[in-house]
Amino acid sequence: MENKLSVRNLTISFSTSNGKVQAVRGISFDLARGETLSIVGESGSGKSVTSKAILGILAGNAIIEGGEIIYDGRDLLKISEEEFHKIRGDKIAMIFQDPMSSLNPIVKIGKQLTEAMILKGKARQKESRETFNSYLKLLCERMIEAEGGKDAARAAEITEKCKNFDQFERRHIELEAKYNTAHEAASEAVEEIDELVFEMSKNAVRDTVFRTKQILRQARQAVSEYVVNDKAARLEELCSKLNAMLGSIKKSGSDYKAAIESLNELSEILKEAVERTSPNFFAMGYCLTFGGKELPKLPVGELNKYMRRELDDRFMLDFIAGAKRALELSAARAYENKAEAVRLLSEKLPIFEEKKLERDKCDAALKELCTAVEASIDKLEIVKDSLAYTFASGLKSELDIYFGAIGKNKVEEKKHDHMQAKYDRIVAAGKTPDWKVPAAQITNLDLVQENIKRQINRLIEHFNESLANRDKRDYDAETVAVIDFLKENASGVVNHVTPRIAKSKAIKLMEEVGISEPRKRYNQYPFEFSGGMRQRIVIAIALAANPDILICDEPTTALDVTIQSQILELINRLKRERHLSVIFITHDLGVVANMADKIAVMYAGKVVEYGTAEDIFYHAAHPYTWALLSSMPDLDTNEKLEAIPGTPPNMIYPPIGDAFAPRNKYAMKIDFERQPPMFKISETHSAATWLLHPDAPKVEPPKIVTDRIARMKAKREG
Amino acid sequence: MQENNETLLRVEHLCQYFGQNKAVDDVSFEIKKGEVFGLVGESGCGKTTTGRSIIKLYDITSGNVYFKGIRIAAGIGSYKKAIEDAKNEYSEKVKAATDESEKKRLKDELDRIISENKENIKRAEYDRNNCDREYSDELVAKVKKEYEAKLANGSNPELVAEYKNELHKAKHTKLVTQIQMIFQDPIASLDPRMTVREIISEGLVIQGERNKKVIDEKVYEMLELVGLVREHASRYPHEFSGGQRQRIGVARSIIMNPDLIIADEPVSALDVSIQAQVINLLNELRHRFGLTILFIAHDLSVVKYFSDRIGVMYFGKMVELASSDELFRNPLHPYTKSLLSAIPLPDPIYEKQRQRIVYNPLAEHDYTVDKPSLREVCDGHFVQCNDAEFEKYRKIVSRN
Repeated sequence: MENKLSVRNLTISFSTSNGKVQAVRGISFDLARGETLSIVGESGSGKSVTSKAILGILAGNAIIEGGEIIYDGRDLLKISEEEFHKIRGDKIAMIFQDPMSSLNPIVKIGKQLTEAMILKGKARQKESRETFNSYLKLLCERMIEAEGGKDAARAAEITEKCKNFDQFERRHIELEAKYNTAHEAASEAVEEIDELVFEMSKNAVRDTVFRTKQILRQARQAVSEYVVNDKAARLEELCSKLNAMLGSIKKSGSDYKAAIESLNELSEILKEAVERTSPNFFAMGYCLTFGGKELPKLPVGELNKYMRRELDDRFMLDFIAGAKRALELSAARAYENKAEAVRLLSEKLPIFEEKKLERDKCDAALKELCTAVEASIDKLEIVKDSLAYTFASGLKSELDIYFGAIGKNKVEEKKHDHMQAKYDRIVAAGKTPDWKVPAAQITNLDLVQENIKRQINRLIEHFNESLANRDKRDYDAETVAVIDFLKENASGVVNHVTPRIAKSKAIKLMEEVGISEPRKRYNQYPFEFSGGMRQRIVIAIALAANPDILICDEPTTALDVTIQSQILELINRLKRERHLSVIFITHDLGVVANMADKIAVMYAGKVVEYGTAEDIFYHAAHPYTWALLSSMPDLDTNEKLEAIPGTPPNMIYPPIGDAFAPRNKYAMKIDFERQPPMFKISETHSAATWLLHPDAPKVEPPKIVTDRIARMKAKREG
Repeated sequence: MQENNETLLRVEHLCQYFGQNKAVDDVSFEIKKGEVFGLVGESGCGKTTTGRSIIKLYDITSGNVYFKGIRIAAGIGSYKKAIEDAKNEYSEKVKAATDESEKKRLKDELDRIISENKENIKRAEYDRNNCDREYSDELVAKVKKEYEAKLANGSNPELVAEYKNELHKAKHTKLVTQIQMIFQDPIASLDPRMTVREIISEGLVIQGERNKKVIDEKVYEMLELVGLVREHASRYPHEFSGGQRQRIGVARSIIMNPDLIIADEPVSALDVSIQAQVINLLNELRHRFGLTILFIAHDLSVVKYFSDRIGVMYFGKMVELASSDELFRNPLHPYTKSLLSAIPLPDPIYEKQRQRIVYNPLAEHDYTVDKPSLREVCDGHFVQCNDAEFEKYRKIVSRN
């Protein structure tokens, strides 16, 4: 599956007056498209810090010490605030714990919903136009190159057509929007008619005239060319007949027979129209813009075929063939460059392997390497190669840390010595100070160098792999992806968000998240909503920009059970419908079982266990996960709960060994001395505990956990 | 302990209206000595208001609350309404009546009803205002009797001082202080400018304890009881973690030696691991001192684990009341069913298939003709239902 977001070795600290608090200590995870990753842990385990780092909203005293968060070919830790504006809220959105404090109490809901849409609308239009134009320009260049410049006139023709892509795309979207409105009106009218006819037959009808008029209005709206075209005349006739009937309906009030007949026929026509396949608006857009003549009057199916033929013959086939050739050419060139880059990387690697790095040499090599890697990037690829894209910035920042550290260390050391001397003085005077000397912050140069080497090696490996898979690429599929990409951006250019459009979009969103009477609710203030409804509004605001990734930071902790399960169902449904990737942060494992595909259990800034939901709930391996599972009661628990004794460690002085060891009744001697590595249990499941070491004694999970698993299993199997 | 049949708290037709908003509407239940009574329902259903009405944080609109057989809270709304109804009825009937003697009979009846209800109101108001005084008078008499006997044998100054102190305490003792409350948010419910010692001992001081040594001893005892250490007494609340703060809240409530503790969502704001610590603590204290607890929460797994009997509330009404095993095994009211279907369980495979039952009161019940009331369907299992539903539930129960 396509990876949306990868976090690698993320390390974050906060500088406080007492010293440096190490909040997140080297965590890594991947988030695939349409997947939910749940981060579970106690408060203070660093789960919220991680999510805030992804959104770039860390507090001012946060220090990002290392690692990377790769999204869409960019490292979110290294991009500028200006660039982050385009991602935050737009591509990555967040739902906060407390809905009341994340809504503005003195601004109406409607305004809060549409505010971002309108602001973003313009920015997005500009962005889409830029992306669209630059990509199309590149594609044209490659196409002409691929033609080999043999036929200059033909090349020019292709270019011309490419440039017009957005023109007919604009037409396409307009047509489609018009069709959708008509379609909606028709289906609404059908429903209304059914209801009205039923009531008429029971002779218990109210507001007849008003309702009939409404139906007629909707039906007439449906008489757009593509919804009802062949029977438009008949429909108009029925409408005027009904209109004439209105007076008599009002008066007599008993004889509905004629009206029912006409209504039924009307309903038949509309129903048929609603169920019919819709025209191909993409092709239609082209035909109407460049076809040069009127569209023939044909039934939709045949019309589609005709338009498709027209589009294919005159433009699409050429375009596809051209685009494919361009892609092949571009890829071939990239492969050559990749081979060259691999050679260069391997050649320069020894410079970074020396015992002590030299600034001049490293900078020169860095420059050369960056140019080579830059050249090896295939700009026409839609799925960006994140490793290659982030290589330059990543390597540069690591080098900066390496060379910056030596100068910085002196100051740090001096400060530390000063503090230590003061501490010693107080102790010598026979008092016990109530503060401790924070450990000196010495950058581990070996570790940094290791990171540099690893980055280079990783890229070499990655390039070699892609070179080996060269023949397996499916250029046809990629061409289709290119066209979809262009379409998407073109619609971004065309869609201009006016306040009116934003309002209708907002109301649709409110309906989608399950708020009844959205039109009335639109003009209310947050305090008029209940807790669950407020959280729905917050979700709607988060979804307004149609993000790829949704981060939910304890979204249901403040809500009660029924509302909680409604909100969870809502998030699950939206995730399915919109293919969202969700990061779900919570301390309640019961909630997680419902939501998560993958679970990362965090403790003291580290991921201690990582696996699928089934792995964690049925085959948990880390004592901390056991403790979490056994400290919550379920409906059949009668025995004493096994609370976790003590509190999480003070992260100013993180423990040397396993951070959980002091609270862990399974702790061994080594747990206090060395940090356990991640032991792999299965393909998807891994845990950081010495208990998984081959030499460790065999330990069973607590009885309360094993009992529950057995009970659940028995229950499931009946 | 569970076999004890002594009723500690009896709530009768409790109504608490805030203007038009009927927060609690005709709720009745009893809590036996030594049991944990759970109160569940979604937010806004009146659980917290019920708890607060019992401890007299609100003046109740109507109904009675009896604690240890003494009426501690009484509402006068129902009597007032009865007078008004009687007056309306009278004016209508008088119009219809032609006979002079008939009119007189009606007038007499009206007068009788009015005077009866006025008497009730008077009594309710007296009880409401004087339940504490009566209780403290009783205590004072007891103390006097005890020490007079002692002093008769010859007085020494120490004994006199002790006697005075005890007398002072007895005079200031209130019955309601035997009901204590633990609040949901441990941060908001502790005064940030008081030390833990001051927080915990505040109740004692108000009650009239003036001996500093006694206070300190008691505070230390309480701290150790809830799993904290003596040194914590001189610290401030912000120096503690969430779980420890909740422990301080617990210590503050049990120092008064209460018979009933109202725990209003004591674990909802805490982490899972801390939750378990606090629940274990409450459980331990309960068995040790035979505490009676009114446990208000919305987390059903916790309520099930902790309570002996559970009442389910929906929009100010008690819709179902049964022992906790019975309620979970055999839920009758559709709202209870929907509530139970919403409980998340730590079982991914089950969770992915779980179907939530939606409760729509308008679709479920037809109360246009036949009004519902809380009826006992089987032994100790009460459900809010009307005649037709009652029969239906009876059938379901007998089938099981």
